[in-house]
Amino acid sequence: MSNEVRAATLEMPELRGATWYGHKGNIYATAIVALVMLCSAWALLQDTRWIYLLVYIWFGLGYGIFLQYGRFCMASAVRDLFAVGVPRMAVGMLIAVMLFSLTAAVVKVLGVNTFHPHPLGWHILIGGAIFGFGIVFTGGCASGSLYKSGEGNIGSMLVVLSISFTQAYYVTMGGWLNKLVPASWTASAAAKDMPAQLSVTDGWFDQFVAGYVWNLQGGQLSDQLGFDGLFSGAFIGNAFLGAILPSLLLMVYLYFVVYRKGYLRRRKIMAPRLRDHLRGVWSMVVSSRNTAIAGLCLGVLAGAHMWATGELREHYGIFNFGELLADMGHTAGLSIQDTVFDPGYWYITTQEAQWGAWLMDKAGVQMADNIFFGLENGIPDPLINAPGWMSIGIILGAAVIALARREFKWKVPNLETAMFALIGGALMGLGARLGMGCNIGAFFATVTNGDLSGWVFLGGMTAGGWLGVKAFNSWMEWRSGDDDLAI
Amino acid sequence: MKGWFGRRAQQRASAVKRVERSVFVHGYGSLTVHVHIDCLGAVCPRPQLLTMRALDHMEEGEVLELVVDNPGSAEAIPGMDMTLGSTHLVTLHEDSCWRIFVRKGYKDSDD
Repeated sequence: MSNEVRAATLEMPELRGATWYGHKGNIYATAIVALVMLCSAWALLQDTRWIYLLVYIWFGLGYGIFLQYGRFCMASAVRDLFAVGVPRMAVGMLIAVMLFSLTAAVVKVLGVNTFHPHPLGWHILIGGAIFGFGIVFTGGCASGSLYKSGEGNIGSMLVVLSISFTQAYYVTMGGWLNKLVPASWTASAAAKDMPAQLSVTDGWFDQFVAGYVWNLQGGQLSDQLGFDGLFSGAFIGNAFLGAILPSLLLMVYLYFVVYRKGYLRRRKIMAPRLRDHLRGVWSMVVSSRNTAIAGLCLGVLAGAHMWATGELREHYGIFNFGELLADMGHTAGLSIQDTVFDPGYWYITTQEAQWGAWLMDKAGVQMADNIFFGLENGIPDPLINAPGWMSIGIILGAAVIALARREFKWKVPNLETAMFALIGGALMGLGARLGMGCNIGAFFATVTNGDLSGWVFLGGMTAGGWLGVKAFNSWMEWRSGDDDLAI
Repeated sequence: MKGWFGRRAQQRASAVKRVERSVFVHGYGSLTVHVHIDCLGAVCPRPQLLTMRALDHMEEGEVLELVVDNPGSAEAIPGMDMTLGSTHLVTLHEDSCWRIFVRKGYKDSDD
């Protein structure tokens, strides 16, 4: 059935007969994997506790491989719906959500689920909208920019650079912005009795977090609905009601709004019955085989990652990687609670903020006098930043499969694309900090664990994406002139 | 500065061009291409949007050739058939780029 919509992709004749080693990309790809293996072995010889960090790298490598394989881009999931009316990516994303909710439920039953729910408030919706607007201009979401960097796309590297530095900058911004912060936030933040070195009443982000976000409630559906049993809470409350049912409803909605008309016309079905509609939904699901496969594998991988990190935490008797780092004598860059950012699952934006903050810190900017870095996430050296290595793993994993599939190419952006990358990246950074994560941390990882705030983020992201497409279209029309397409 | 971000230069050298040429795709056969879009170096969503808008200006049965080096776009074009009323004929994967041939109109209308 899928062949109808997926006509053949042919390789160039001279590429078809090439031997495995005759293709340079295979050699480079093997070299990258070998290098990661060698470095992992070297790190384990130094201290076996580095296994905790290596888990992040290897899962990152896996994410990168499947993201590139399925061209898995959540930016296009919301964007292509409005831009070109194609549900392919949105469907792939929903498949991944359903699978991850099941694997996350298994991990919860095993008792090592590392997920923490997000407080629900307006900031999620607004952050999602700003993030969604930004991703239309950057051509990729946060994970998308990483795996596209691995395909040799220098524009995407600029996006990563922009997200890193702007986020680090936003959380330390004070000065005139302090005047815009509502007095109630300032008072509420001051009442939290935070250590003086954090200066929580200076800087808008500190007051936003301590004076607003901390006063909000969040939680998982299993607790909110009162499913006490471990099994019923994880599988019925969180996975089925929180993720699978909404995903199925969204899929049916996408079929009726975007896909049905073209499908029925193509199949010459005049009076469709339920059976035809069900076939149509299935045709939509398999219309991009690679994306659906990637969705399945990413869902399983994300759950396995949570389980692996959870088991390691049990094994070492820790709650956070910072404790392990302190044990190993690496105390520089830890927060005042001796913690570092260590989500234990797929996450993108916070570690990028830490990269930016580390460099700014080295350049002499005071970066640790805030909640985000000083109290919670720390600013570890990028060499020992575990989630940071997950991001590098994503880039390397994408490079491996892009090289092997002859899809790697250094792509230098023109001035316009570069500007969009930097400005769009700055918007994504702002959205990610307001919404407490990107489409992975604030949407994918949350809805799959029964935290409904993720669906709110998706709603905001969709609205922002819709506006972004409008703006992008106007820009293209203005720039190319009207006669450009009068071919 | 040459206009805003080289706006004037862009207006002179449009990515979308009317052409009339025959191509032979090994393993598929001969094709007559009517519109050529050069999207080398462009990222999503530009190739998709240009394809969509070019199809709007084409006659039923005409063939469009899109050249992209962004893997995401190469994957997205075939999936656009259902919504655009076009038929993806074949994608030719060359070293680090794709040539995608799309005919306006549904396949069964002319074979």
